[in-house]
Amino acid sequence: MSREKTISNAKSKKDKQSRKIILWIVLILVAIIQLFPLIWLVDFSLASSNEMFTSGLLIIPKKIQWGNYKTAFVDGHFLLYLKNSILINGLAVILVIVVSIMAGFACRRMKWKLSGFVKTLLLMGMMIPIHATLLPNFKIYSKLGLTDTIWALLIPYVAFSLPQGLFLMTSFIEAVPVEIEEAAVMDGCGIFRIIVQIVTPMIRTSIATVAIMTFLNNWNEFMMASTYLSSPTWKTLPFSVLEFTGQYSSNYAVQFAVMALTAAPAVIVYVLLNKYITKGVAMGAVKG
Amino acid sequence: MTKLYSNKKVIAILVLPGLLLFLFAILAPICLSVYYGFTDYSGMGKATWVGLKNYQELFKDEVFWISLRNSLFLAIGFICIQHPLAIIVAAVLDKLGGWGEGFFRCVFFIPNVISVAVIAYLWKFIYNPDFGLLNNVIKMFGGKGDINWFSSENAIWAVLVVLIWHGFGWGMLIYYTGIKNIDPTLYEAAEIDGATKAQAFLRITLPLMKPVIQVNVTMAFISALKQMETVYLLTNGGPNNRTQFTANYLYQQAFKAFRYGYGNAIGVVFIIICLLATVFLNWVFEERNGFKFGRAKA
Repeated sequence: MSREKTISNAKSKKDKQSRKIILWIVLILVAIIQLFPLIWLVDFSLASSNEMFTSGLLIIPKKIQWGNYKTAFVDGHFLLYLKNSILINGLAVILVIVVSIMAGFACRRMKWKLSGFVKTLLLMGMMIPIHATLLPNFKIYSKLGLTDTIWALLIPYVAFSLPQGLFLMTSFIEAVPVEIEEAAVMDGCGIFRIIVQIVTPMIRTSIATVAIMTFLNNWNEFMMASTYLSSPTWKTLPFSVLEFTGQYSSNYAVQFAVMALTAAPAVIVYVLLNKYITKGVAMGAVKG
Repeated sequence: MTKLYSNKKVIAILVLPGLLLFLFAILAPICLSVYYGFTDYSGMGKATWVGLKNYQELFKDEVFWISLRNSLFLAIGFICIQHPLAIIVAAVLDKLGGWGEGFFRCVFFIPNVISVAVIAYLWKFIYNPDFGLLNNVIKMFGGKGDINWFSSENAIWAVLVVLIWHGFGWGMLIYYTGIKNIDPTLYEAAEIDGATKAQAFLRITLPLMKPVIQVNVTMAFISALKQMETVYLLTNGGPNNRTQFTANYLYQQAFKAFRYGYGNAIGVVFIIICLLATVFLNWVFEERNGFKFGRAKA
């Protein structure tokens, strides 16, 4: 009896182990599909263009061509565009957070007749396709002289990230207990102090979520940027790639290098902060 | 307390920045679009009022219908290919545990943080007939490997594959989060009752994931409808409009064909379609919160 039990135990242990192996194989396969194109990209970016016409999957370059990256870095305006991307996205994130907390608090907590209507109106922005506003906004911005300025990106980036931010903020502001606010009012706090000193610290995690979602939405944006900008002053990182394909249309290796270089900042930051980012995305996407 | 919370001046200060942004960046352009949609404006010179002519033309415009059909094709592709894969991988990942779980979760999401600009050009190279990765993979398995991935039959599939690949991590992550929220005691109970893993997946995981699946299906539809960036760089609607999408088409009409008025008319119809689709899908799934779905990623 007891022997039988040990045998069946050993069997189920073996079963579990083989099951685990199947899990690993499935996941490794998916990982290869997701990552191999990127590995291929980096591999080719280190070779010379002549070496690319092989039938092998990867090439072992005779000499590693760091020069590709140098060309990409210099001629791709990498530093300028990276700086622009960081600045514009940073500002957009801050503005989205501030504006959405303000509007969220007003629509959720303050007592006024139109609060529901205004909230619905602002959330409607989520349903409007950005691309439909490209044409008219181009006209408006050129009339107002905003094209080729930082405002041409900042205004639509904030406006189109606002609905999602507002949606997340209101649902989190709701969770802040009213009693705390009441106590603050008793102590003579004004609305603005309540927002800054009481509500904002209590919704820290949702602020992080909104920041991550806004950043992911706008970091890689290039449709608006290429419509509203023409000079390099405020161009963002995707332009390194967009401009290169025309300039170096026959030098494939350099094109690979510029793609790898442009992708690098986001990938590095993501890998370092992936725990927080996946959490933020999961929270934002499931809620919003 | 009530007095403080109904102070009109404070409310105005709090709401105005958001409201002005909405009016200036979203509502004003839409109104302008409606106006230009009734004109034959070319982008320069004078705009002449032409009434409903643009809209009459639009409904007879074959390319417009192709673009809508392509959106439907993408949505079905996401729902029938990407999402089942994403759910299964999410369920498998959930069972893994240990460091591997975090590792794979991180890896699967990496393509998502890379710009569409990079992704589109990278895949253009992957599909390249001379040195492309895909044909080389086929050669490795003994095939001829001389397929033209951008031929008129293949191109839309080529687009679909890129989008599925790029958005896979996003969908997977949402399903994964949903699965993590399922009470583990349910699985324990099922195991005691002698259910297999497959049965547990079908009888517990899938039914409890229904709300998450609904959200993701809606997002798939909306993002298929709003598709532009990838197509713009990968095929720009070609060959012969076979991979055309509404957003790309209106852009081409306005800035390439210099039919700015007609482009705006497409834009107006496009907005209406997006609104109707969102309302319709929300109604189908009877979402409690109403406006839930924004700039979705597939």
